[in-house]
Amino acid sequence: MRSALVDGVVLGLQYGLLGVGLTLIYGLAGVLNLAHGQIAVLGAIVVALVVDAGAAAFPAALLGIAAAGAFLLLLDLTLMRAVYRQEGERRVLLGLLLMLGVAFVIDGFLVWRYPVEQLALRVGGDAVPILGVRMTRGSLLASGITVAAGLVLVVFFRYSSLGRGVRSVIQDEEGARLCGVSPAAVRTFVFAMSGVLAGLVGVTRSMTSPIGVNNTISFTILALIVAVVGGLGSVSGAFLAGVLLGVVDRLSSFYIGTYVTTIVLLLCAAVTIVARPSGLLGRSPP
Amino acid sequence: MILRVRGLSAGYAGKHVVHDVTFDVDEGEAVTIIGSNGAGKSTLFRAMLGLLHTVSGTIEFDGRDISKVPTHAIARRGLAYVPAERHLFAQMSVVENLLLGAFPRRADPEVEDLVFGLFPRLAERRKQAAGTLSGGEQQMLAVGRALMSKPRVLMLDEPTTGLAPRLAAEAYRALATLRDAGLTLVVTEQQVPLALQLASRGHVIENGRIELSGTSAELADNPDVQRAYLGVA
Repeated sequence: MRSALVDGVVLGLQYGLLGVGLTLIYGLAGVLNLAHGQIAVLGAIVVALVVDAGAAAFPAALLGIAAAGAFLLLLDLTLMRAVYRQEGERRVLLGLLLMLGVAFVIDGFLVWRYPVEQLALRVGGDAVPILGVRMTRGSLLASGITVAAGLVLVVFFRYSSLGRGVRSVIQDEEGARLCGVSPAAVRTFVFAMSGVLAGLVGVTRSMTSPIGVNNTISFTILALIVAVVGGLGSVSGAFLAGVLLGVVDRLSSFYIGTYVTTIVLLLCAAVTIVARPSGLLGRSPP
Repeated sequence: MILRVRGLSAGYAGKHVVHDVTFDVDEGEAVTIIGSNGAGKSTLFRAMLGLLHTVSGTIEFDGRDISKVPTHAIARRGLAYVPAERHLFAQMSVVENLLLGAFPRRADPEVEDLVFGLFPRLAERRKQAAGTLSGGEQQMLAVGRALMSKPRVLMLDEPTTGLAPRLAAEAYRALATLRDAGLTLVVTEQQVPLALQLASRGHVIENGRIELSGTSAELADNPDVQRAYLGVA
């Protein structure tokens, strides 16, 4: 029971990091990135290939994270231009369909070229007891990096000029433009940031379990559930929802069985939509 | 001449609301655009700020044509606009709204002092979310946010919208202070007496066309203006 709780928090931090990238792009551009999990795995595969080629893990990880960021940056500058020309429901639908297409392309490419390639970053050292539960160095490092990334995000959005600029576009695009904020520039920046966050999930998750093409769809679904429960557009909401869902995940597989966890998580998302449509920390509709 | 508008026509989805509008604004003067609801005042301002796509004619700001320049770039050049709907960032604090006004530069503490001096009520509510302010306070914040960019021209669309008469007069006292400090103002208004007191010149816009122009004294004496906007029988 206690170990399920601690495991749940470790897993939940990863879920939070996964959800943040998705939630930001939706809050800002109205694009539901259904390729988010695919991009995370793409980043992990780049790391694995660079390590195979003989590089050390750390520079390889940086390269993989940068590749994931560059991939989404490129999407913003090319494919997404067509989406931004649309408004309202049509923008959401077109963005959704294009991103679904991107997800299939990445999945297809990975199955074709790298069907068995996996990233498993091993972090050396003995397990450390935390609250009476023995935790591997890998899950400690992954959690540490994730918490640090979350704190950097919160500080960035609260205290930096650019972070405020991003929030201003999410809250009132016309107001932002009148203040001298360019919504297009902010969008490009956030797409790249979301890609970096996806790549970071691929890397940190691989410290506790191997990441390969099999993980793409479940990552995307998890990101979606976390973003919905946390409130679309909310950074701290995504982390809160991530940790809660991580604990629910571990508890339900501990008491019921692994096979039902995804169903339980989807149920959490459904209950959230009914009981609190704007999510845990999301903005209530005006 | 800091603003030169020539033959401006604009509207929504191909349908023109504003027709062939021409007017100038000199540096340091206050000009008012008077008109009833739906006369095209907001459309005119939105077109000048690049917020509408269908525009013909030219808009020169400080000697350069801005009719093809995106809104955020116009704002950075020093043309600040306070829309009637204000477009504040409702979930952010008063201070955060003001800081965004200076974007992308760092806020100038002197300008912040000036804003808080002009609107002491904002200073009392620094940490409060903009969405929880009263209507009058929100209008103060919208003007304050626009001032933070140290604009060369401040354009206000019906600054008295939704304000009680006492608050409307208070808002215009603040605008008069800014005018006396040398800021160029362009104000649209339905509350014509207040606007004519503030401005040195004015234009009357009806059905999207400028029908009458003159000094504030001339407009105040004009029988048509008196009948339509000043409540004189």
